[in-house]
Order: sequence, then C-alpha cells, then structure tokens
Amino acid sequence: MSRGAAALEALRAVARDPRSHIEAWRSAHPEGKVLGVLPMNFPRELAHAAGVMAVIVPDDQQPVTEGRAFLPEFYCGYTRNLADQAATGRFDQYDGLFVADHCIQLLGSADVVRALEPDRRVFLGQLISSLSDSWAGQKTAQMMSLLRTEVESFAGTTIDDDALRASIASFNRDRDLMRQIFDARAGGDVSYSPVDLQDIVASAQIMDPDEHHALLSDVVAERQFLPRDERIRVHLSGHLCHAPRRELLEVIEEVGAVIVDDDLWTGRRYLQAGMDESLAPMDALAKWYAGRNTALPCPTRVQHDVDWDAWLLDAVKRSDAEAVVHLMPKFCEPHMLFYPELRRALDEAGVPQLLIETEHEGIPLESFRTRLEALIERTHRNRPAYA
Amino acid sequence: MTATLNTPTTTTDRTNRLKSTRQGGRMVADYWEDLFTARERGKQIVWYNGGALNPIFQAAGLAWCHGEAFAARLAAQGLEGPAQLAGAEHGYNAELCSYSRTHLGCAVLTVQGDEGINTGVVGAHDQAELAARLPAPDFFVNNYAGCSTGQQWDEISYRVFDKEVPIFNISHPFLWGNKPDAGYLTGEEWESASYYVRDQLLALITWLEERTGNPFDWDMLRESMTYIKRAAELRREGLELCKAKPAPATFWDWISAIAPINFLPGNQELVDYFESVRDEIQDRVDKGISGVENEKYRVYFDGIMNWNKLGFLSRKFAEHGVAVLAGRYITNAFWQEPQLIDTDDPLLGMAQHYLLCPTNHGTKTLDYLTLRDCEEYDVDGIVFHSTRTCRAFTGPQRLLARSAQNNLGIPSIFFEGDVADASFYKEEILESRLAAMLEGIDVKRTQAS
Repeated sequence: MSRGAAALEALRAVARDPRSHIEAWRSAHPEGKVLGVLPMNFPRELAHAAGVMAVIVPDDQQPVTEGRAFLPEFYCGYTRNLADQAATGRFDQYDGLFVADHCIQLLGSADVVRALEPDRRVFLGQLISSLSDSWAGQKTAQMMSLLRTEVESFAGTTIDDDALRASIASFNRDRDLMRQIFDARAGGDVSYSPVDLQDIVASAQIMDPDEHHALLSDVVAERQFLPRDERIRVHLSGHLCHAPRRELLEVIEEVGAVIVDDDLWTGRRYLQAGMDESLAPMDALAKWYAGRNTALPCPTRVQHDVDWDAWLLDAVKRSDAEAVVHLMPKFCEPHMLFYPELRRALDEAGVPQLLIETEHEGIPLESFRTRLEALIERTHRNRPAYA
Repeated sequence: MTATLNTPTTTTDRTNRLKSTRQGGRMVADYWEDLFTARERGKQIVWYNGGALNPIFQAAGLAWCHGEAFAARLAAQGLEGPAQLAGAEHGYNAELCSYSRTHLGCAVLTVQGDEGINTGVVGAHDQAELAARLPAPDFFVNNYAGCSTGQQWDEISYRVFDKEVPIFNISHPFLWGNKPDAGYLTGEEWESASYYVRDQLLALITWLEERTGNPFDWDMLRESMTYIKRAAELRREGLELCKAKPAPATFWDWISAIAPINFLPGNQELVDYFESVRDEIQDRVDKGISGVENEKYRVYFDGIMNWNKLGFLSRKFAEHGVAVLAGRYITNAFWQEPQLIDTDDPLLGMAQHYLLCPTNHGTKTLDYLTLRDCEEYDVDGIVFHSTRTCRAFTGPQRLLARSAQNNLGIPSIFFEGDVADASFYKEEILESRLAAMLEGIDVKRTQAS
C-alpha cells in the first residue's frame, strides 16, 4: 500500500470508528480531557488551545435502542442516536459536552446526556442565530468570550492567546487543504469518491487538526487528476449536521451520476469558512461565526440578505452541476422550512431536482435507486442532442 | 390535515364546563372580526409569533395577528385544511410544525390569491372555507422563545412575501441552567437574559415608531399592562382554587380561557372576564360543585393543546371520572407570574414572561415545575400529549415522566396527537393507555387501604 493510500485508510478508520481513535488518544494523554461538542458552530480552536481533544460527536450509526425511552421517535435520527449513546454508556468516552447552537432537538438530546450523565459538564453557550440584528456582532463576541472561560474551567487551565492563534492556524490549514480538494472536484477532478471525501471530512471533525493535516497531505501528494466522465453531474444538498449513510452516496453514483459538489455537513459546509489570522484571536472566532453563514448559508440562521437558494444556484453554476439531490434528514425542521425556497429557485432556473428523506435506520435503498434513476433520465433530456 | 372521526363517547357528557368562559369566546370572536376589517379602518397590521407582544402593538396603534393563535383557531374550528393543503403544495413537509405549516399556508394563499395582493385579504377564493379573512401583514415581528423553529418560521414568512414586509427579530436565550445558581426566576442567567430581552423590546419600539411614523404611546402600554396584570392575577387566583377537591374547573376550561389572556387587548373588559371566571370557580368551591361529574381521578396534562380535539378530549377524560386539573401549558404559561410586572415600567416584566415560555427551560427547571404542580394539585397521574410536530414540548417529556415516577410515585401515559393536525391523533392508544393507568391507580389505592 502506498503512503497516500495508507494515509487515506487511516482517515477512513477514524471516520468509521471514532471510539477507537479517542481511546488511543486517551492512552497517549492519560491526563487529557475529551470534550464532545455538538454541531454546528462551536469553535473547536478554543478547546484545542487548552490542550483538550474536542470531538464533534458523530452519529455512530448504531440502531437506537435504549435511547427510545428518552426522546420521541419524531426527533431526527442524529439526536435520537445521541440519546442512545448516552443511554447505553457509549457517551462515557467524553468528559463533557458543549453546545453552541440553539436547535431544539439538539438541546433535547443534550438534556438527556445531562440527566443520564450528571457528573459530566453539559454547557450551552448559545450563539445568536438572528444575524441581521445590529447587536449580533457584540452578542457573538460576548458568547465567544464566555465559551473561552468555560473551556478554561473545563480544562483546568487558561488559554494563552498565542496558543489560540496557533490553534486557529492549525484548523485553518487543515480546512484549506480540504477545501482545495472540494474546489478541485467542483472544477472537474473526481479523483476521490464521495465516500472518500466524507471520510476525510468526518475524520477531521474528530481528529487533532495537525494530525489530520499530515495524513491528508500524504493523501493529496499522490493525487492524480481524474477528469469527470459523461455521467450526470449532481450537487448534493442538505444533511446539515451529520453524515448521510455511505451506501446512499454510493447508490447515487451507481445509477449514472457523478457528484461534483455539495453543501453537506460532512462536506463543504464544514470547511467552507476559515478564520482570519490577521485579527486578534477572539475577534477571529467571532468573525468566523458570522462569516460561516455568508460562506455557506444555513437555514438554522436568520439573516435576511443571505440566501441558501442563491448560494445553491451559484454553486450549481460553478461546478456545472446538472441536477440537485436534496438529502433531508427526516424531522429536520430548518431544512423542511427552507426546502420550498430551494425548490422554487431551482425550478425557476430549470435545474432538475429530487428530494430524498433520509432516516437513521432502514434506508429504502432500492426505492431511492428507482427515483434517482428517474432523475438521471430526466436530466439526460436536458442535454443538447447532437447529430 | 386529514380529519379523523371523533369516536362517540359511550356515556352521557360528564363535563361541567364553566359558563363564564363563553363570554371569552364572544370576545375572541369580536377580536377576529375586528382584525379582519382592520385594513378598511386604515390600520397597519403586524403578524407575530411567540410571546404576547400585543400590549406593545396596542400602544403602537397597530392591529395584530398572532400566528399560532390563528392556526389554533382554524384547527379548533376544523378549518385548517385549505391552509395546510396550500402549504403542502408549496412544499412544506407534513412533519413540519403544524402551527407553522398552517400559518405559512395562509401566507402562501395570501400571496397566491387572485385578489390577495391588491386587497390584502387572504385567498379570496378560499375565504368561505377558511373563515379566515386575514389581512396581509405590514410587518413581521418574531418573539419566539424555546423552540428554534419559531424564529426560522417567521424568516420563511418573510421570504414567502418576497422580503417586501419588514421584519424584526427578538432573540431569547434558552434558560438552560448552566450555573449552580440557575433556577426558576433566579440566578445570574435569568437576570442577564431578562435585561437582554428588555433591551430588544426597546429596540422594537424604536423600530415600530420609525416604520409607522407614530410616536409610541407609553401611557397606553402602562395602562394595558395594568389591566393585563390584574387579569393575570385573577387567572392565578382561579388556578389556585382548582386545587380544591373536587376540582371546581378543569384544564379544558383554562384552555378555553387561553385566547383572552394571550392576545386580547389589555382593558377593563379583560379584567371583568377573568373576574367572572374566578368568581364562578369560587362559587363552585363554596357549593362543592365539581368540573367533572363524580371526580374519581386527578390528572396533570403535559403538552401543548390538541386544538382539533378540545371538546372531545374534555368529554373523554370526564367519561372516566378524570379531572384534568392542571398542566404545563396553562399553569406555567401566559402571564403566569404577574408579580414580575411593574406597571409603571412594564418592559422588564414583559421580557421575563417571554422568557418564561414553557418550552424555554432546560429539563431541570421543568422537572421542578412539574413536580411542584403535581404535589400542589395532588394528582394521581400524568397524561403526556406526545405532540407529533411540536418537538419543543415533547423533548423533555420522557425525562419528566421518569422523574415523576421516581420522585413522587406518580404514573403516566403518553398519547399521540398534534397541535393542529388531526391526522396524528390516535384514539385507541389514548383509550387503552388511559384505562390501564386508571386501573393501576385503583390497584394502588386498594393496596393502600
């Protein structure tokens, strides 16, 4: 196995078995603390600068069993999975849980963790979601400062500004490298499969950024440009805060599509915005939060002059995508609310689209396959007919 | 959206509903009629969601429409179908909050209606069926605490109207309870959140002044809040009286009295109404009259209201001799802490009530409130309305059920339904689970005796 292939395999292993990676980190850092954080906007840089391993808690894709006793079945699969992790002891690898986003379903799962793991700190530092308000910048800065204080308290140390600058640089470097790959894909290079890319980003959400960057550099060093073939070019949209099932990504390409870009959480959404290293570090954190929604709009934020639908149309043009597949996790309310806006914009632009509702358990893959095939057929008709 | 048949109860109606709440129904009907003709009277109209901002709108000279209230009204009258269908055709998923789906459906009808844009009247063709001559908005104001969907919902309304209607957002910190000093009405978190929201209300008032061109009438705000505070005090007195055995009035009576306290103008009529409600309850206590014939069980109701089934549910529980006499949606909502309101300077107390939305607490505080109420009302069991499209209300319910069982030995059941979509209601599940819980309570009583 080449060095690049081995590095990709290592990233894949972390993405698919984060528990083992965390345990290995604990063994190497017996005094260290592991902080679970929930999507989407907690700045892991703060924890990293405090010497804490900050992991964006993934959906571990285990069936929900004991967790059913704590959250209703009409909560999204990710939050029910989190409740299940807490109910079955799988949350014990985290020393605490920090949340920075007001999603009522996420808070529901965090409350289950708080009830079942009373010795662990479960902290909500709610970042303002109404970003058009004149006071949004000030409130964001205040909350970032509070998050810093709480992370310091959790870690039992103070965060040095220089350490924070270094952490910002590390995460930036890792995000930049991932963004290069995604930009290359949008520009025509399909040297990585969508599942590879998901593993790359999912592992970044778990690993130390320097370690991740080193492995990813090895992967990229061996990359050879692979041009798109004639399959239908598809943009994937949705899955705002956890990964879609890998088999779903595979079936999209099996039916005759090639995924050329996305706005998924385990995709471009995670890495689109970097932090401004020329600013004071706390200012950089606040500006990053505000900038994330302009870099890639999110329906969980309210910002009147920022439009996910407009961003999506631009992205479709940039990557020359011919169709859009919406991946909507069942019961995700911000996505359900915004979807008609996306649909309207794409319809008006003449871009074929398909909505797929995903569930935590029991993906009806063959049903999806049929619908995807229909989308591909329909999109083929949009192509010019040559003699 | 799909109507379900109300299974007829097998016995005669054993409810004994308050007579005085009928007057509230008339007041509410008059309010809607007044709103429907507001445009003709030259009024500007605000659509808002979340906490009761109506005293501010009253003092700003606006007519107001509370989105959830309008959706609830449609559902209670069985008229939600056309709006929900319009929403579905526009692309809103059936699993989306049915309040928002109904209200957004109205927005879609308004925009699509042949005459809607010109006359400012919701979908003219659907008026008869909708009974919803809702005027189009001049402003949106969002005041949603607790549920994250609330703020997003109004943002989408703003977009449905092509961003042509100005919108103002008030952000509410979720009262999570991070610090050891955090608790109900206490702690630094509560204090700082209160002033944060108060400051935003001041900004809202400036915003309204700029857009209406009218100076804000602070005296009117103080006056209306004086009436609302008094009405809220009377309401609390009435709720306290319901701790009597047998309970003189029930949760369903208080549900009927929600609209007046939630969005009617603060005036003497409102005070008179709640005085009459309180007096009727006092009279019943004095005479030993109960809200349910032959009260046998006392039950707490957790969950938002199932507006499609209000009358049906009241009869169903009464049929089993169950007095549903308290619940999070009435006991811990709607100006429930009137002592917080300083009528000379009411904004802080108003801000605090917006924060006290019963979905804006972490489970620790909800647990405190639920156990407190269950003890004070001396209930035998809890019925949880597992409200399909209201994740905010249902999220903590399983933890609350566990706590009530562990700490007070109180059993509970869950039944499925929804705020404004009858298709989620499961009649047989409620019937069988309720019968089982009551049987369990009987066994426990037998063992105790």
